[in-house]
Amino acid sequence: MRQLFAPGADAILRLVLLVAAVLVVGGLVVAGGISRSNWAYGVGVAPTQPVPFSHKHHVGELGIDCRYCHTSVEKASTAGIPPTWTCMTCHSQIWTGSPMLAPVRDSLADDKPLHWTRVNRLPDYVYFNHSVHVTKGIGCSSCHGAINTMQLTYRAHAFTMAFCLNCHRNPQRFIRTPDQVWNMEWQPGADQERIGRALVAQAHIRPGAQLSDCSTCHR
Amino acid sequence: MTVHPTTLIRSDQTFESVGRSIEQAAFGKVQPAWWLAVAASVGLIGLLVVSVGWLFVEGVGVWGNNIPVTWALDIVGYDWWIGVATGSLVLSVLPLLLDRSWRGAIARVSETVAVLAAVAAGIYPIIHLGRPWFFYWNLPYPNTMVLWPQFRSPLYWDAIDILGFLVVSLSVWYLGLLPDLAGLRDRAVDRLHGDDREGSGGRFARRIAQFYGVAALGWRSSAPHWHRRGQALRIIGLLGIVVVVSLQTGAAVMFAGAPEPGWHDTLQPVEFVVVALFSGVAASTLVVVVVRAAFSLGGVITEAHLDRLGRLLLGIGLLDAYCVATEMFATGTSGNSYAVASMAQRLHGPHAWAFWTMVLAGLLPVQLLWLKGARQSPPLLLLIALAVCVGTWADHFMVIVVTLQHDFLPSSDQAYSIGLWAVATFLGSCGLFLFLLLLAMRLLPVLAAAPVRALTHPGAESTRTPVSSDRIDLPKDAPLWGVAAEYDEADQMIRAASSLRQHRLGRIDLYSPVPLPEAAALLSLSGPGIRPLAVAGAVLGGAAMMAMCLLATGYDYVFLIGGRPRFSWQAFVVPTVSFAALSGTVVGIAAMLFGNRMPRLNHPAFNIPGIGGATRDRYFLVVEAREEFDPGAVEAAIAALPDRPLVVHRVRR
Repeated sequence: MRQLFAPGADAILRLVLLVAAVLVVGGLVVAGGISRSNWAYGVGVAPTQPVPFSHKHHVGELGIDCRYCHTSVEKASTAGIPPTWTCMTCHSQIWTGSPMLAPVRDSLADDKPLHWTRVNRLPDYVYFNHSVHVTKGIGCSSCHGAINTMQLTYRAHAFTMAFCLNCHRNPQRFIRTPDQVWNMEWQPGADQERIGRALVAQAHIRPGAQLSDCSTCHR
Repeated sequence: MTVHPTTLIRSDQTFESVGRSIEQAAFGKVQPAWWLAVAASVGLIGLLVVSVGWLFVEGVGVWGNNIPVTWALDIVGYDWWIGVATGSLVLSVLPLLLDRSWRGAIARVSETVAVLAAVAAGIYPIIHLGRPWFFYWNLPYPNTMVLWPQFRSPLYWDAIDILGFLVVSLSVWYLGLLPDLAGLRDRAVDRLHGDDREGSGGRFARRIAQFYGVAALGWRSSAPHWHRRGQALRIIGLLGIVVVVSLQTGAAVMFAGAPEPGWHDTLQPVEFVVVALFSGVAASTLVVVVVRAAFSLGGVITEAHLDRLGRLLLGIGLLDAYCVATEMFATGTSGNSYAVASMAQRLHGPHAWAFWTMVLAGLLPVQLLWLKGARQSPPLLLLIALAVCVGTWADHFMVIVVTLQHDFLPSSDQAYSIGLWAVATFLGSCGLFLFLLLLAMRLLPVLAAAPVRALTHPGAESTRTPVSSDRIDLPKDAPLWGVAAEYDEADQMIRAASSLRQHRLGRIDLYSPVPLPEAAALLSLSGPGIRPLAVAGAVLGGAAMMAMCLLATGYDYVFLIGGRPRFSWQAFVVPTVSFAALSGTVVGIAAMLFGNRMPRLNHPAFNIPGIGGATRDRYFLVVEAREEFDPGAVEAAIAALPDRPLVVHRVRR
């Protein structure tokens, strides 16, 4: 019998098999990487807003408290988006002629709310309550990042289930004393683990038995 | 030619004629009937695409599934197909493990049915999910939800069972195919070079030969090749039995997990295995009878084969009847009014036709097979096998739909009728199976040549086909790979090899169209070989699966429900066993390929003039060159032997 394949055929076959294996494994790795990447979750991208509102200016430089605008954060499940009236408490006095603020003035004049583009979003099947988090000692910056440095507001973290569970399983690593909840620059100290455990006990948080139950978030 | 009913091969069959049967099926003229069947199956696949598309848009409601019948034709279809698949695999591997010689002629068909029915079955668990595009959520992989799949769920068991079964059945099938694909490769090469009586094989002759060449992975019919393949086939066949029992009894256990009366009989796991065997043997018999007629294979698939299949069908049918009778007796005497009501529903409820179809098509017609005449009559056997396929389908319908339909909550008392889209989906799955089957029977060898050749009468190996006219110019200083001697009888080659072994002229290898135990012994190939590796792979794989399930449910994500202990290992037995079979198979295949240095497309052995005969009716003894190789001495030694070879060649590297 004459050779059906040239001597190089085996090298080609091995190369094809290797490439196929690399494509399969590499494809899975890439798909896995993309599915959890900041890119897929739009982290760090500030959407266009009707008014280029700067948290950096208002919070970082002027020192306005979060609750001045997000009034229901301690009492309700949503933190609350301020009505135009809130803006106007100051802007009826200062920067009254600024073209940048024209949409705000129009909103007041026409009695139509501003349509902000939502930045942070959880799926509909997730039950989330702001008040329980901030009153039990979870600070704004734990989820929203350093808002006080954001010129334009963007998503600071990918809200994957892994992100939520990381804290729900280990709340002692993130819990703060009540006075630190609004501190945008808070960092856990060296003895956070000890303090955290005490705070968790004090706030009657039961991580194992309660916080990671399916029905805690999926009701 | 008269055939004695116990003869498994007609006496005029030779090594060459067996090969010719396979060759005819693969290279012969395409019948119009084949095209017609392909067109019909493609039409049905179109129906499948439309049905599944509509299902994806609308959801499982299009099948008519609703409370209380949440499992309807989807699970009936799955259970029936996987029953056909598992039963067909057992029909191939159990006779292999028991060394039954009738297996050879029908093993290819039953293995093909097993693999393709598993493919048809495999689409159901995916499409019956609410959101089929998330089917991979069933598998454990690092995900952004940091969740494990629910290892206690039958959905997960099913995923591992089907995966395991597919890997095992594909492996058994492919190991069986290797030498026959090599046979088709060599015949295609013969046609390419005009050695064949019909001349060249057409425009694509070279591509066709290369297709079979790649598919055969460089199979060389050498003694180590045969030996390792045989070892791998047996151990993987054993793992096949394991995965079949795990899958079917696992399915019975998932039914038992539901609070439906009639799903808790302790006989149910046995019944599931029996019904699977029943449908598998019936479907394989059906295909065997059709293939036998379509390719005129009466000489190798004889009345004796049909007789054995008929006996098997009858035996399994009696077992099934026993299971049904026992279950009814146990239910009737149980005093459990719910179970009795469920049974009454089977006998005269709105879907009582299912029970009566099971009895009238499944259990009764096989009783004809007590008669020898019925067993050996292909048309009758075909009709009975078809009836059994219908009867076992009705059996699954009865077990699933009729039980679910009789809900004991008045609020859930809703009627069920079969949805048209569910029927269309099932017909589509039949079309997919049929299309792949037609393709496989046309393109791949329909028979396993070696075990059939082993049945031919003594002397049938030497049919005196002319020695190949292949000549390769061998320049004087060409580097030599070895010296090859061609024989037309196995005994001559074995005797020559055992004499030559004394001379220490070089490494001896033996090439043969059938595995020769003497050759393996002569080349000192005996020993545990692949077996311990495959067993170790199975044990490790099973241990890894069990460890993962225990770690996930007992440590990483503790999920205490239903009063189960923290480490409830019992729920993980089914995926553990199935994954063990899968791992053992993967290791076995890897060991076989590595040991045989496959795939290897270009090899000096293919330089032996006429080596294609090694997949037909010739035996080659090769003395491979080592340091200080003297081809003259080898030739002299061969010439000095009492058995003269047909021809001796020096073979270049």
